[in-house]
Amino acid sequence: MVSASASVPAIVLLPFVSFIIALFGREHLPKRGAFGGIAATAGSLGLSLWVLLSVRNGAAFQETYYTWATGAGAQDWTLTFGALIDPLSALMLVIVSVVAMLVHIFSLGYMNDEDERDLPRYYAGLGLFTASMLGFVIADNLLMAFMFFELVGLCSYLLIGFHFREPGPPSAAKKAFLVTRFGDYFFLVGVVAVFTTFGTAAFAGAESFPALAEAALNGEATVWTPGGLAESTWFTIVGLLVLGGVIGKSAQFPLHTWLPDAMEGPTPVSALIHAATMVAAGVYLVARMYGFYVLSPTTMAIIAFVGGFTALFAATMGVVKRELKQVLAYSTISQYGYMMLALGSGGYVAAVFHLTTHAFFKALLFLGAGSVIIAMHHNEDMWEMGGLKDKLPVTYWTFLAGSLALAGIFPFAGFWSKDEILYEALIHGLDEPLILGAYVMGLLAVPVTAFYTFRMVFLTFHGEPRSSLARDPHPVRWNIKGPLSVLGVLAVVTGGINLVPVKKVLGIKGIDYLHLWLDNHWGGIEGLSSHHYAELNPYSSQYLFGGEVPTVLAGAAVSLGLALGGLALAWVLYNVADPDEHTDKLGGIKELLYNNYYQDEFQVWVADNTRAAAGSADIFDQGVIDGVVNGVSSVSLLSSERIRRIQSGVVSNYALLLTLGLTTLLVVFGLLGGWF
Amino acid sequence: MSLVLQGTTTDWVFSVRALLPVVLLALTGLAVFGINSLRPDGRDNKLLALTSIAGTLSALAVTVWYLFAGTGQPTHGGAISLFSGAIVVDGLGLFFTAIFTSVATLVIAASYDYFETDANPASFYSLLLLSTTAMGLMAVSNSLVTVFVSLEMTSLPSYALVAYLKDNRGSVEAGLKYFLIGAVSSAVLAFGISLVYAATGSLLLPDIAAQIGSIGDLNGVLGIGIVMIAGGVAFKTASVPFHFWAPEAYEGAPAPVSAFLSSASKAAGFAVGFRVFATAFQPAIDIGIDWGLLFGILAVVTMVLGNFAAATQTEVKRMLAYSSIGHAGYALIGLAAVTAGASATNATVMGAAMAHLFVYGFMNTGAFLFIAMVERWGVGRTFEDYAGLAERAPMASLAMAVFMFSLAGLPLFGGFFSKYFLFLGAINAGFWWLAAVGAVTSTLSLFYYSRVVKALWLEEATTDLDAIGDAPTGLYAAVIVAGVVTVLLLPGFGPVIETAEAAAAALFA
Repeated sequence: MVSASASVPAIVLLPFVSFIIALFGREHLPKRGAFGGIAATAGSLGLSLWVLLSVRNGAAFQETYYTWATGAGAQDWTLTFGALIDPLSALMLVIVSVVAMLVHIFSLGYMNDEDERDLPRYYAGLGLFTASMLGFVIADNLLMAFMFFELVGLCSYLLIGFHFREPGPPSAAKKAFLVTRFGDYFFLVGVVAVFTTFGTAAFAGAESFPALAEAALNGEATVWTPGGLAESTWFTIVGLLVLGGVIGKSAQFPLHTWLPDAMEGPTPVSALIHAATMVAAGVYLVARMYGFYVLSPTTMAIIAFVGGFTALFAATMGVVKRELKQVLAYSTISQYGYMMLALGSGGYVAAVFHLTTHAFFKALLFLGAGSVIIAMHHNEDMWEMGGLKDKLPVTYWTFLAGSLALAGIFPFAGFWSKDEILYEALIHGLDEPLILGAYVMGLLAVPVTAFYTFRMVFLTFHGEPRSSLARDPHPVRWNIKGPLSVLGVLAVVTGGINLVPVKKVLGIKGIDYLHLWLDNHWGGIEGLSSHHYAELNPYSSQYLFGGEVPTVLAGAAVSLGLALGGLALAWVLYNVADPDEHTDKLGGIKELLYNNYYQDEFQVWVADNTRAAAGSADIFDQGVIDGVVNGVSSVSLLSSERIRRIQSGVVSNYALLLTLGLTTLLVVFGLLGGWF
Repeated sequence: MSLVLQGTTTDWVFSVRALLPVVLLALTGLAVFGINSLRPDGRDNKLLALTSIAGTLSALAVTVWYLFAGTGQPTHGGAISLFSGAIVVDGLGLFFTAIFTSVATLVIAASYDYFETDANPASFYSLLLLSTTAMGLMAVSNSLVTVFVSLEMTSLPSYALVAYLKDNRGSVEAGLKYFLIGAVSSAVLAFGISLVYAATGSLLLPDIAAQIGSIGDLNGVLGIGIVMIAGGVAFKTASVPFHFWAPEAYEGAPAPVSAFLSSASKAAGFAVGFRVFATAFQPAIDIGIDWGLLFGILAVVTMVLGNFAAATQTEVKRMLAYSSIGHAGYALIGLAAVTAGASATNATVMGAAMAHLFVYGFMNTGAFLFIAMVERWGVGRTFEDYAGLAERAPMASLAMAVFMFSLAGLPLFGGFFSKYFLFLGAINAGFWWLAAVGAVTSTLSLFYYSRVVKALWLEEATTDLDAIGDAPTGLYAAVIVAGVVTVLLLPGFGPVIETAEAAAAALFA
């Protein structure tokens, strides 16, 4: 009997095999690659669940599979591929494979039934995308994580630009690639810095870099720092470098601009990117190496503040969008902001919780949007929809469940996770002005989120149809409804895995499963438990109104009240038969929001104004570097020509040159060695 | 037969068993003669080729078996000394024999198609086999006499092989030039041997080493002798300034012969060089005969000249000929980085050079055999003529791209690791300048190697390529096998470098 741990590589390899099959099988495959992908992701899901169960039975492990480089001399680093299976990665494996499988099934309806061309390329991309993300999840060291992180970026490029014959997608794909690459430069420098500092990039174990960093700060170990920099300062810098990659991938301010454009990709791809793969990768990375981040209060505060700011900032932009997927795009940025806020403010479990619930309800919302888009014959403008509620009942009810979760309405999944994030930020923030600021922004984003979510729901599904397309939508099949229903259920019930407020208020022990799970209650890997992180984190907890229970209740009441307020405003403004475009009432702000605070323009402006620097770099490159290179090559070719002429073809010349050469050597070495 | 050879060294059965690969090769050569004398008029090309391949493959199999069984290696009683110490079977000898027999196998497989229309292929196969036999002897020679005799035994069939296309002016002229330069070089080598004998009073390599300590004021004679022996090695390895024969011989010879000479014959030269200089002349470094520096200079000049001259060639085969000279320069680093009293680093660098020759044996042979295929198709010789071949022969062109990139030392292929270990070994031994020259010339080499790939894959055909209809089985198989091995040597480089370093370490122990 094969043990669960032995099957871990298969989880990654199965989608990879489907990628290979789709790549070489081309048009001969049944459903042009879809079945292979579904089978592979279903296999991965099965194995992931098995791994989850075995971790539940205390079988967490770390194993090195392949050492592909070994250093020599003083720098005896090894570069390896291995798996780290602990509660966090086991949970994430399940999330990724669930969403990937549902996205594959949904693609049958969204891509195959719509007779898209080049489908094997699409399924090959999905397979590789899934495989890369799963590989990233099991990575047991930072370098391996980086490699799969880059693969994830590459796949997103390939899939966003799937419709490369149209003008938009290739440009969006390029933008996504370049913007995230900008962040990844910092990440790469960070990986090198981790190696030079600690000599290892392992995530877990006594010799891992978080453990060594902790020991170094306690004075129990010495590590290399550049120029004798204080260890805490250097760790902050390293942490921020790696954070560069996270901010790019998880679309945090100011590198979020690629994500709305990425909507040019096919909708199932958007679902995959937003719910479980690309964007999730950034947050997952911070959670994975949380033991390192938690050592640096500065980094933590920056993470929290960036997260809180992004949550509010992105939410405001979602308010005015006309297109369904655009609203969802900004909501994704905003929700990942919440997760960063949680991580930065010491709410490790809360972040993972929100990552989980968000994966399900955001996948649901995107697939629901995909369903609407099919029905609307690929028109995404919400102002041309309306009244789809009766025509698409399954889509409507599941979409509504997802929206309630996104808006954070009790008792849907998003309520529990968002509430816990805000609670953690609040109790840790009462002494920390930065965290408190981030908390306030997170709190302010709640009503905005509820507002734009229900503006979207009402405009799309309620009221009277506002176009002929909406009056006669295209029907959708089982392969659309099936994934929606599964995710709809998950969006409702996932909150149940972590009913912390209920536990605290009513005192029922043992219903905060996720807390226990991440706290290695059922076994895990030493040093990677939420308990350990809580000991390390720099914050102290403060409570309002004289205790924990009142604080919990007050926090939940405030955030639920704000969410309901936002919902109510959307109801009043947009849940009418023929809603008006109230955005005009915003005046100048509307334009500002509509243009995304001119962030794209700002980046272009920055690019334009650094053109002088770029220009001089270019001159340096063209003139000095290329000049040297070209010079070398022309000198080389010239001297090559000379050397070539030595070979005259006359054999007596050769004999002469040979003898002369030998004589020269004899004379030189004779003189050197004193033979004469 | 037990895995480890045991017995008295005077017993002839034991000697045959210890030298089994060489004996097998010699017997196969004789068998080819026999077949031809029994049926002098029958052109039994297939039978002859199969017999020859069977011989080289069984010699290869025995060699690999001995290598893995530990025959002649420190784990199993150390080197086996035969014929009063004139011959010694050890890891180095077996390692190089593996290279010779592998290359010979590929070349024979290719020759089956190349000489399909030849009047009398038997002479070709027997010359090739006898030359390979002699190479096997070169690798196990432990006395300057056996070195000289086996080197001549290797060279004489080679001259005939280069001139094998009797009606082809280029082939005959190349053979003659090769012979003349070879004669000069042999004279230099013989003179060098006589001087070393005059100074030390011995021809056995270990005895020479033992005598050097008490040589007194004869060190000048010994020094001149050593430089001249180095000249003999430089001839066989086609190193500057004894390289002049190489471009013309490689270009004029039938392409399978070029493959054989530039891979196996070169390796044989290194086998002799490594053994003679490591065993006999190592103590000479202490008394002012710095042959390490000598080889360092030769290595630099050879790397520079080979690669620079290759860059401006217009014909692919001649480009490869010069690149082959350049690679001799890389392998010379194995001798150049030898310093007194540093056994460990010496063995590492020499082992890396041996491993490089091993990988080189496959990638270079494959490249020349691709040329053989192109010659057989009747396509021209220049880069332009190669344009667009990939459309007609994608698999072979893919293999050729692998050879080119591997020769340049790009990652993903075996040639990357072998160069990497070689340069790394040189740096660790303190010879960073050798590694630097090697790295710079490798960069230059990428330029001319990629020209081939560009012509094959990216350029439009300029000539009519309709002739490329048939796929010669033997040639194709040889090219593809060489390509697959070149790729597999990237993940499989570990055992190769370990075996090579162990063999070299035994030499320096």
